[in-house]
Amino acid sequence: MWLVRRQLDTRFERLDPDDDPDRDDRLIRELYQEFGGPLLRQVRQSTGNDLQWAEDVVQETLLRAWRNAAKLTWERGLLWAWLLTVSRRIVIDGRRRRGVRPREVEPPEADTVAVPDATDKTLAAIVVADALRGLSPDHREVIEQTYLRDRTVSEAAEILGIPPGTVKSRLYYALRALRGVLKERGVAS
Amino acid sequence: MLSDEIPESSHHDVAAYALGVLDPEDIQGFELHLVSCERCRIELNEFGELPGLLNEVKSASQRVRP
Ligand SMILES: [Zn+2]
Repeated sequence: MWLVRRQLDTRFERLDPDDDPDRDDRLIRELYQEFGGPLLRQVRQSTGNDLQWAEDVVQETLLRAWRNAAKLTWERGLLWAWLLTVSRRIVIDGRRRRGVRPREVEPPEADTVAVPDATDKTLAAIVVADALRGLSPDHREVIEQTYLRDRTVSEAAEILGIPPGTVKSRLYYALRALRGVLKERGVAS
Repeated sequence: MLSDEIPESSHHDVAAYALGVLDPEDIQGFELHLVSCERCRIELNEFGELPGLLNEVKSASQRVRP
């Protein structure tokens, strides 16, 4: 199992910090090599393809990962989830700071969600949109009001007029249902 | 089992966490839970590809808009 902590610790053992001012640079570079590319692809989708912004977000995310390295004892998949979480927060915070109204703040309404443009159809987009439409209204709504509109749980709770705990539980059952459907259709594993 | 004693709802944060929509003040608490909860670690991995798949829908609907 690939443990980041172990890898970082090994490096600590090998290198005396006082002897090696480049140590931090090297560790960050290693995070870049492992996660920089995939993370940039994910982040670009939430920055509306703004590459410069996406690169800044990736850099900040990996810096935070480095700062938290001692706590990141998870296996690779969990670290990836952590990086996605942190990078999404950075994008959302950045939007608020800039006062930018992102285009996806106003996605289509529930019943028309994500009907892809005929010229831009990808198989996955079609299958996912169809799977979303097949969910119960509560489940679809909670995915839309959080992830698809870049809102946190408490922001969505306020808009929906339900407690945050209810949003989290609905989201949980919604993702299980969505994953079940996508698995059935061979899109998710 | 310890896991029988904690409420079912305490495992539900994993979905919001997987999507990156958990409120910042809840993140650390959930990450601590994650360290000791195998069920949530498994589910986090299972939910791992959903953000990317949902992005397909998100970017498709974005492209439709001018
Ligand atoms: Zn749990």
